[in-house]
Amino acid sequence: MSASENKKLMEEIFAGLANRNGTLLTERMSEDFRWINIGTTKWSGTFDGKAAVQRDLLAPLRARLVERSRTVAHRFIAEGDYVVVEARGDNVTRAGMPYNNEYCFVFRLSGGKIQEVREYSDTALIDAVLGDPKDALAATR
Amino acid sequence: MSATENKKLMEKIYAGSANRDGSLFIQSLADDVTWCVTGQNKWSRTFKGKASVLGDLQGHFQSLLVQRSRTVAHRFIADGDWVVVEARGDNMTKTGVRYDNEYCMVFRLMDGMIVEIREYCDSALVERALGDFPASRIPAAV
Repeated sequence: MSASENKKLMEEIFAGLANRNGTLLTERMSEDFRWINIGTTKWSGTFDGKAAVQRDLLAPLRARLVERSRTVAHRFIAEGDYVVVEARGDNVTRAGMPYNNEYCFVFRLSGGKIQEVREYSDTALIDAVLGDPKDALAATR
Repeated sequence: MSATENKKLMEKIYAGSANRDGSLFIQSLADDVTWCVTGQNKWSRTFKGKASVLGDLQGHFQSLLVQRSRTVAHRFIADGDWVVVEARGDNMTKTGVRYDNEYCMVFRLMDGMIVEIREYCDSALVERALGDFPASRIPAAV
């Protein structure tokens, strides 16, 4: 797909995420999709494969939040296989803390599927508000 | 300038940054450039104007390092007026702490000059390795 088709797909995906709807995002993850969270936090690291991304990253995040996450994109920059998305979160944790991070996502696509994303965000805020992902699922059991 | 020309300029600027040479970067900043350190951490704010970007933000940052900073870019993504650069720092602070941050820098260019910079990086590392941004360097509200 062209850069403009990739951009259009990411715009559609983020139209969903602005309404707490991650269906299209999930649908467009390739099976060997890789999510890299940059930095040195407890949430940092490489999550390899769609199943691991959902189990080890997205499920603990969901467990921390009152509702499904809401992420509002404000800029899309696309070239070749890459689409960069700047976005803002609009969330509240179960502990009652606002979690409104600022994100820069670098997506790599191939054949209409997302192969990889590198997430840059305010990691100090992650540490302060989200704590340890290992505790997140335990807290909701 | 086209996206390709903008990208070429940013590649040249980062060829300098990889060798601790910021001269082309400084030369390419528009007088009214803004640099937004995104997020809600101790360094988050928008520095307005070349004098503030170089004097306040860069001035303090460079003063913490043993040598002028080294930043090595590994990806450039250009679209219209925007160029996104992913990069890694390779630095040592004067207190002997490694400061090797991971950056995603979003640049907006106009007529061959940088007019806007939005910086994303590991802010937890910023606070740990570099401390708070000092009140004395915070620019007065305009």
